[in-house]
Amino acid sequence: METKPLFILLCSGEHEKLQMAAMLASVAAVSERPVEVFVSMNAVLGFAKDAPAAERYHGGAFSKLLTEKRAPDPMALFRQGRELGSLKLWACSMALDVLGWELDRLEDDMFDGALGLTRFLSDAENGQFITL
Amino acid sequence: MGTRQKIDARGAFCPGPLMELIATLKLVQIGDEIEVWSSDKGSATDIPEWVKKVRHELVGVTKEDGYWSIVVRKAK
Repeated sequence: METKPLFILLCSGEHEKLQMAAMLASVAAVSERPVEVFVSMNAVLGFAKDAPAAERYHGGAFSKLLTEKRAPDPMALFRQGRELGSLKLWACSMALDVLGWELDRLEDDMFDGALGLTRFLSDAENGQFITL
Repeated sequence: MGTRQKIDARGAFCPGPLMELIATLKLVQIGDEIEVWSSDKGSATDIPEWVKKVRHELVGVTKEDGYWSIVVRKAK
């Protein structure tokens, strides 16, 4: 049975959801499953270039635990997924426009470009779609 | 018979031990073995699942004192 690619729509800036998206994306990618992540809304803020962890990650009770217990960093997991498997990240064009940001305001070597929803939805038609 | 390398990933949480294993597998030869020490219970089942999915060989999983030893042989 052919493996369906995984498409993740990441909108939340909550630490817990960034963590879950990074874990899903990286583990799927290293398991020979192509993954694409569309980053929009508050999630874009989580990818601000060179932001210290205390500014980047905020959330609920689990966010505190993730930090205290030194769980794998979401940015590091995304990078590992890109290095070791097929993982693409796209920044939402609309979210960047609203922020007045270009791609260079986001973490280096993380994004394959900016994209609109139409293209992402079209590519996702034959895959599995998850929203976080 | 290949060589065996050890990864001490005790204290690291899932999917850290898996990622360390995969990064090391890229560097070794077919037939070489990697022994991962993990205190993370999830990794003790996750790593064998990954090995099965991508068709390497699982040599064995052993419960030690406070951690698991998972040995994988590079098959491709």
